[in-house]
Amino acid sequence: MSGVSGIFKAIQSGTKHLLIRRFTLRYPEQKLKFVGDGYQFDPKEGVGIAGYKGRHILYHDKCTGCQLCAIACEGIAEAIGMVKIDKQWKHNKKSIMPQIDYGKCVFCGLCVDACPFYALFMTDDYELAAYTKEHLIYTPDQLSVKVDYEGNVEIKIDDHGATHG
Amino acid sequence: MGKSTEELYSEAEKKLRQEHGRAVKQIREELKTTKQKADSSLHLKKGSKRDLTDFPKDMQVEESEEGRILTINVGPQHPGSGHFRLVVQVDGDIIVGVDPDPGYVHRGEEKMCEYRNWIQNIPHLERPMIADSCGILYPFCLACEEIANIEVPQRAKYIRVIMSEINKCIFELYWLGIYGIFLGHSTMFMWPMGDRELLIDLAEMATGARVTHAYFVPGGVRNDLPDSFKDRAIRQLDYFKHRLDQYKDIFYTNPLFLDRTEGVGILSANDAINLGVTGPVLRASGVEHDIRKVEPYDVYDQLDFQVHTMKTGDTYARAYIPYLEMYESINIIKQCLEKIPIGPVRTKLGPNPRGPAGESFKRVEAGRGEVAYYVVSDGTPKPYRVKISPPSFRQIPAMSRLLKGARLADMPAIYWSLNYWPVEADR
Repeated sequence: MSGVSGIFKAIQSGTKHLLIRRFTLRYPEQKLKFVGDGYQFDPKEGVGIAGYKGRHILYHDKCTGCQLCAIACEGIAEAIGMVKIDKQWKHNKKSIMPQIDYGKCVFCGLCVDACPFYALFMTDDYELAAYTKEHLIYTPDQLSVKVDYEGNVEIKIDDHGATHG
Repeated sequence: MGKSTEELYSEAEKKLRQEHGRAVKQIREELKTTKQKADSSLHLKKGSKRDLTDFPKDMQVEESEEGRILTINVGPQHPGSGHFRLVVQVDGDIIVGVDPDPGYVHRGEEKMCEYRNWIQNIPHLERPMIADSCGILYPFCLACEEIANIEVPQRAKYIRVIMSEINKCIFELYWLGIYGIFLGHSTMFMWPMGDRELLIDLAEMATGARVTHAYFVPGGVRNDLPDSFKDRAIRQLDYFKHRLDQYKDIFYTNPLFLDRTEGVGILSANDAINLGVTGPVLRASGVEHDIRKVEPYDVYDQLDFQVHTMKTGDTYARAYIPYLEMYESINIIKQCLEKIPIGPVRTKLGPNPRGPAGESFKRVEAGRGEVAYYVVSDGTPKPYRVKISPPSFRQIPAMSRLLKGARLADMPAIYWSLNYWPVEADR
């Protein structure tokens, strides 16, 4: 291809995109929809359930304080530590539950795979920014709260190209 | 008799200036002759072949007069090279000596493997190459399965192939975007980065994470694909293919890009084999070698795809091969989505699995080339030794070979066409 016509062709193919809608997620207003309700694991089947790997959720009525999640995390991020809780549960005689340091967590979800009691799952919540390192350490009480994440857009494809919502 | 100190000073200064002028003149003349020499050998017409041995003797080796050669440190603080230093010796504009200096981001991945059990090794093994996290983890899982004799369900094999091809595209788009900005083409930085989102969206849907998926495990994959995956994948891949077609006009047939890359940094097929390069770099030199064909793993032997090669072996070919391979990846993913059977996706292992003593060597074709793992087990829950052979490390010999004799301005084009990633090379 000769020089000038090639350059014109390149400019033309770029100029076409002025008319196409932008493919940008306008983040605080728009949030991506995720499949499922966070990553979960079924210990009976030995297989996970697809979902976003965000902040964990801890079910106090199921956690027995067996420490398997902490042991799983030992060689990965060392983010999980067991702490004493005030409340007495019948199934949790030691009264210990995991606390997770999100300054260290890598969101691999292998602690969820390790839990045999359906007590630790992951949620869609990924907005974890904090002002201090201490605020990133989530106690068992904080982990038990489920934040409602509402994604409102997904990638749409039509004749004019791809857009978000 | 009796010259004042001022006069003495001025005389001395005059003398110095004359000498300096003479020296400058001499240097300029010398530079002119070398430049003419260099121009005669470097000015290439399109398609002409250049052999590095044709260069004038004094440009091949570092034996030139002292003072003429200037040593430049390229890196280690990210001049586009990543955390990697190239000690470049230039004579005028021509690179006469290259001393690659890797090791700035050595993390001890291989030693770390010996202190973690088989499952705990998964997240940190992805870290050397987060842009292609499935590709670098894949052979580790294959090796573990061979040692422990684990049967992988058929569906898991297909899912693995789909995910590794998606990751290959993600990586190649990332690489292409940075290659565009290296050559001053900002649009080519924006487009692949934007289109990468289509594939990251698919990866996120299946694995739950955008880049470091931790998705493959010895014995299969960690979770099944969601129900809506197939429709969404086909829709987005069709659009992605349409977008790839548009790259051709703006980048691959753009005369500015052609001028920067055609005939630059030619690696002959013989040299490519002798220097031990892998992947697109090897195929760009005309050697048809792809691990997916040569040593098929999982279900690649049941799929129909092509291995692209180009004969020129220049920078343009090395940039064009990954582009063709993205089409091939789309083709493979679509075939897999058609053929994928229903069934389990993971062989159930104990909470702390341990295999028998044994060893295994496995390799796969990732975006940058061949990733090979040599894993030794002594029967304990932890590996005895894990040796990683990443493709990036194997491109370093070719780098010093190609850069010698090239112009300094061509350095980014040649460097980035070799698909070199410092973190992966240092492990």
